[in-house]
Amino acid sequence: MAHDTHHPGTGQDAPLWPWLAAAVAALLGLAAWTQFSASPPVALQQLAKWLPTLLLGLGANIGISVLAMALGTVAGLLIGALSLSTLAPVRGATRLYVQVFRNAPVLVLVYFSTYVFPFELQLHHWRLPFPDWIKVVLGLALPASANVAEIFRGAVQSIPSAQWEAAQSLALSRRDIFRLVVLPQCVRRMLPPWMNLYASITMATSLASLVGVHDVVDAAQIASNTVSRTDFTALIYASLLLLFFAYCYPIARATQALEARHARH
Amino acid sequence: MADSSWLQEAVQATRALGLNYAFVLDAGERQAFARGLWVTLQLCAVTLPLSLLAGVGLASGLNSPRAWLRRPTRVFVELTRNTPTLVQLYCAFLVLNLLINQQLQGRAGNPLTPFAWVVIVVALHKAAFHAEALRAGLQAVPAVTLEAARSLGLSSRQLLLQVELPLALRFALPSLVNNLVDAVKMTAVASAIAVGDVTYESIMIWTQRDNVLELLLLILLYFGLLTWGVSRAGRWLENRLRMPGYGT
Repeated sequence: MAHDTHHPGTGQDAPLWPWLAAAVAALLGLAAWTQFSASPPVALQQLAKWLPTLLLGLGANIGISVLAMALGTVAGLLIGALSLSTLAPVRGATRLYVQVFRNAPVLVLVYFSTYVFPFELQLHHWRLPFPDWIKVVLGLALPASANVAEIFRGAVQSIPSAQWEAAQSLALSRRDIFRLVVLPQCVRRMLPPWMNLYASITMATSLASLVGVHDVVDAAQIASNTVSRTDFTALIYASLLLLFFAYCYPIARATQALEARHARH
Repeated sequence: MADSSWLQEAVQATRALGLNYAFVLDAGERQAFARGLWVTLQLCAVTLPLSLLAGVGLASGLNSPRAWLRRPTRVFVELTRNTPTLVQLYCAFLVLNLLINQQLQGRAGNPLTPFAWVVIVVALHKAAFHAEALRAGLQAVPAVTLEAARSLGLSSRQLLLQVELPLALRFALPSLVNNLVDAVKMTAVASAIAVGDVTYESIMIWTQRDNVLELLLLILLYFGLLTWGVSRAGRWLENRLRMPGYGT
């Protein structure tokens, strides 16, 4: 929908960075104002002290999101391919999988994988620990795979059937049509929604803190409870918001740019 | 109790499947779970209309010709869309709520309960998505249609209310329904700040008993039912509003 660049507020406006800086300044001002004369620099000093912990926590979130997305993409492509099967029972089963895991709240799926899987795995006589963060990866990979399957199915079906017929008349086999004609176009169509999905999975990693994984949200909560100052609490949660924004907003901008480029071609 | 016999039978029947639903035989736990179902329904019933209302407001902000209104709205929408709901909820409940309480100290209690904060945060979060959908809908109204309407002598007010908005709403409706389905699912974050929704009550029950899988199946079924209801209502509305020649 990015074809009308002259329309006010199409998302093609100048970047938001100056406004964001103003918003941060306002929040800082608010934090200082609530404390009146209590020296604001203390909160800033504490923030500087806690920032490495926060960034380390964000690293855990990014790691979880990358693993969940990788797993979800592999599983999702497989399920998406099965959903195009000519066998009705296979199609029905994939339909059910996609429906269930797309319509379930992500938080419930995270609880599901955390409490239903055992805390260690017994393989023959080895005991493998099964830490909570891997369970969160699995819990997020479930909705990711269902969404990737749907994105894949949508992309394949968006290729006009005339292309299949034209390729058939050139004596290409079904496999070759898929590999040489359909798939290359699908990859291009799938990229923007796949990036959107990655951004939303990254945001969903914040739920890991609710099942006891030490992520950036958990780090912020520990910092807030340890320092126990109103202005610091405001500051640390604002920073939390900003950290996620700094990671997800560029992805969203890139997705928009990609969509706009595809729309023009 | 008259209904305990069929409950017992149901529990026995599910036990044959390897599922332990014995908690429904305990009056306290059964009532807690039912209360959770009711609170989730209430959350949805309040959040969904509110999100649409706020979405219309934000969309008009995004489409405003006045830059001092448009840019802050844009910042709000982008910030909301690109940060986790849970973090927004913490910012609202742990920071804003704390500040309000500090300002109110000694005087009458804070009217904003955790329930209200969940409604506000989820409604505003989804409103940002509604606003984007409505904006795209407004842009999808063909320029020729507007020109034709103008040539019929409609005022700019009539143009907006009778041509542009009705068409934009039809274009945006599928995305709006999608967002509402998301909003239903999102109310589960209420459990993070101890609002007694179905997720929270279930956690309370499964920490007493070892029946996580059984309760999760019930929760998934309940959310499945709610989201199905919302998307059915959406499809009904789409059919109802369908105009020949416009929309899909």
